[in-house]
Amino acid sequence: MASTNINLNMTSVENREYRLGTIIGWDGKASDLIKESAYDERSAKKHGGCAGKGSGCKLCELASPLNQETMCSNAIVQCQVGNLTDCALIDHSPIGCSGENSKFNLSMHVGLKRRGKPLQNTLNISTNLKEQDMVFGASEKLRQTILDAKERFNPKAIFIGMACATAIIGEDIDSIAEEMEPEVGVPIIPLHCEGFRSKHWSTGFDIAFHGVLRQIVERHPTKKQNDLINIVALWGTDYFSEMLAPLGLRVNYLLDTASFEEIRQASEAVATATFCDTLGGYMATALEESFGVPQIDAPQPYGIKGTDEWLRAIAKVVGKEKEVEEYIESEHKRIAPKLAELREFFKGKNGIVMTGSAYAHGLISVLSELGIGHDAALVFHHDPIYDGAGKHQDTLKELVETYGDIPHYTVSKTRAFQLPQLLKRAKTDFLLIRHPGLASVAGHLGFPTLTMGDEHIPVGYEGILRIGEMLKGVLSRTKFNQVLKRNVKLPYSDWWLAQDDPFYLTHHPETLNDLPEPRNLKFSKDKESNSENA
Amino acid sequence: MSESLKTKKKSNSISDPRYSCAVGASNTVVGIKGAVPIANCSPGCQLKQTAFLTFENGFQGSIYAGAGNMPSANSTENDIVFGGIKTLDQLIKSTLKVFNGDLYVVLTGCVGGLIGDDVSSLVNEYRDLGYPIVAVDTAGFKGNNLFGHEEVVNAIVDQFVGDYKGERKKGLVNLWSEVPYYNQNWRGDYQELARILRGAGFEVNVLFGPENNGVKDWLRIPEAQFNLVVSPWVGVRNAEHLQEKYGQPFLHIPEIPIGAEATSEFIRKVVEFAGIDKEQSEKFIEQENGIYYYYLEHFSEFFAEYWYGMPSEFAITADSAYTLAYTKFLADQIGLIPRKAIVSDDPPQKFREQIEKAFHNISEGVDVQVEFEEDGYLIEKSIKEVDFSSGKPLILASSWEINLANDKGALFFEVTPPSSETLIINRSFVGYKGALNLLEKIYSASVGGK
Repeated sequence: MASTNINLNMTSVENREYRLGTIIGWDGKASDLIKESAYDERSAKKHGGCAGKGSGCKLCELASPLNQETMCSNAIVQCQVGNLTDCALIDHSPIGCSGENSKFNLSMHVGLKRRGKPLQNTLNISTNLKEQDMVFGASEKLRQTILDAKERFNPKAIFIGMACATAIIGEDIDSIAEEMEPEVGVPIIPLHCEGFRSKHWSTGFDIAFHGVLRQIVERHPTKKQNDLINIVALWGTDYFSEMLAPLGLRVNYLLDTASFEEIRQASEAVATATFCDTLGGYMATALEESFGVPQIDAPQPYGIKGTDEWLRAIAKVVGKEKEVEEYIESEHKRIAPKLAELREFFKGKNGIVMTGSAYAHGLISVLSELGIGHDAALVFHHDPIYDGAGKHQDTLKELVETYGDIPHYTVSKTRAFQLPQLLKRAKTDFLLIRHPGLASVAGHLGFPTLTMGDEHIPVGYEGILRIGEMLKGVLSRTKFNQVLKRNVKLPYSDWWLAQDDPFYLTHHPETLNDLPEPRNLKFSKDKESNSENA
Repeated sequence: MSESLKTKKKSNSISDPRYSCAVGASNTVVGIKGAVPIANCSPGCQLKQTAFLTFENGFQGSIYAGAGNMPSANSTENDIVFGGIKTLDQLIKSTLKVFNGDLYVVLTGCVGGLIGDDVSSLVNEYRDLGYPIVAVDTAGFKGNNLFGHEEVVNAIVDQFVGDYKGERKKGLVNLWSEVPYYNQNWRGDYQELARILRGAGFEVNVLFGPENNGVKDWLRIPEAQFNLVVSPWVGVRNAEHLQEKYGQPFLHIPEIPIGAEATSEFIRKVVEFAGIDKEQSEKFIEQENGIYYYYLEHFSEFFAEYWYGMPSEFAITADSAYTLAYTKFLADQIGLIPRKAIVSDDPPQKFREQIEKAFHNISEGVDVQVEFEEDGYLIEKSIKEVDFSSGKPLILASSWEINLANDKGALFFEVTPPSSETLIINRSFVGYKGALNLLEKIYSASVGGK
């Protein structure tokens, strides 16, 4: 590799929008976005080569005056390093920033169960800041909370998560971490993950990985574990072991539900792969650049072709080319009858995927294998390149070349108000969704949804069949969604529901100068005349 | 007080939180039909509130402009550096255009508070144009979601309901009780309280939940004869404000009544205060008592005959309202022995003595030393230290206590956020009907050889 892209000397991470050119608003044909993204030029540049004129320029991005409830990097950090079995996470913030910790505790419980680990709660603690701390600073409270974390959990490492409030008042978490580390005796890891910092929450993944790469992963491994492969994952069921066992590999899942030791040994592994290049790109690239652990440069393991190539790329690293071909052949044969049956069932059906970007590309591959049409898709962000910048990691191009173009390919970060337009212009029978906020609104519009909680379900050959079986149940739920459609009122105006363009407000900014008359003016100075007795 | 709470130097830290922050009062707005919250805060703020208050709290779900539909500024670095007013202005305009709202409430979080955006001036401009829009400062560092709830109520009263010079209507009562979404049975409980008050002869102005008629009920607030606050402390500040603003009296009943005896007493207190005719209320009480004891007599057979064991002791941790109400019912009406009661909602100091007193006099011969603790680590430690005497104890708490309850071999169910092993649609544990539901819930857990 010609150059190093990830700088582990700094405590903070460059946002995705600067590092990768990530955008959160775009609408058009997928094939056009591939062209505009200029992956190959960006890749050449990442690898230190000559990029040529104009490469790496900013993608056109559709801004929106209307945004809605969404996720932030701080929450992502909580769902990553907040879900380790023996490390504590301090939310250096007012208590509201810890609101989602209970949900991540549920994820932790479910994840531990899926991985066969003993049940435990997350090791979470907040500095619980108040108004006077905003005025006088919160460093003393942070020091106290570090000591409390040590006393309560005796953790192997302590992470400190920055929040909007503490970033604005200029809390120096780097210095405090450094100063307290000798006294506490375990790594104290500052994470600059304040919510306003990056326009997309996925920067939070990189921040979490950056922290563990700097202060937990073994810098100077004394041994190599040639049968160990890192899989950058979330809480998903352990389907990777059965796929990789034929290659003689054991899986080291990073980061959710992992222990300090499992993270530490990441540099001893033979390679790093992932279920999603959006998630895993940073970790895999840094492990390659700074620890000499190669990352798998292959399409993601979804659909038949993707899974074939992903397995072959791993087999090549561990010298199991012969074994892998036998496995691939037997798997193709094994799933064929069931797959044919499912394709018959889904004939004429269409589906829309709404998830993060690389994962969406994987899911759409699986739908294609099942013979399900996909006129439209929505991704919450688009990264024109990933950190790995591998020849075979251009996931959108891989998708379109293998399974065909997507005429309505939309990049938009959890803007539920656009669903009426998105669902009006494309044929669909159901939606596959990840991240909260959209599924229930789509449900009110009459469409059944499958919320992908266990992200490993669609992975590999068997994943195609798993998704097929699940979708049968999802389609059946259309009845419930039709009841909702007939009886539930959406909060959107008739004017908005009549629009066809999900980005109408962006394309016609002048429309905001023409506001509706204040409706049904109950707000009147003459209150008596208005107050009807209900 | 337990040893751990006494000896431990009080720290600022909180593990396993039981409340969220002021900006979570967006859910108070969602509790009003047709109202649209506009979140002037960072990305992530509202999703965290939704996760805690509506999802991880009996998976209540949301409605209308709540949760994923909620407009949010999602502040960026740019807003921090250059100010967020322009972003907010665009958000307000597009919300007015795209949403059908009868009332818009702009809730400003930490960022707007710290960078000093003049949100009020901007919102006033829209209000001057005739839009029903309200601004409220709900920065997370100012207080928890219960504080935020009271702030939102006062802001709507001041900036939307406005001045009133008309008459007050005898027998019309504004009902202030649980905090929408935070108190997980709020929808059902408001319905039961309203049913009881109506039965007693009142016209009830229900300000939140399924029986709220939207903002027109809010505009009727000043017309009511009085405000009724049924909560140990939440809402008292609002009632005091209404008293000052409209000269409207209020009645504060700290304990949400559960069971026929407490509910009948509750009705008599409210009727007495209002000075309305007692004939209807007494008739209602008689009728409800008849129904209640018809069921209770059936239940008593199970209670007497079931020989496979049932709990005799309990520990509870929840907000002031549920902790007091459930402890009272279980100790006073069923005869369960309260071994631990921990209030986790950080009541203002001035209410604590009154709350402590309510626990001291909870039932004849039963004295409960209530603890005030908001740090989950210390709450769990305190419950862990309880040496339950025999059999399976009952633990009423949050999902943070699931593992602890398993270790104790306890019957366990969730009564406070976070609650991730409970699904709540229409549930109430208060009044006449709710008391029976609560008994069903508890003793369903003890049957079946569990």
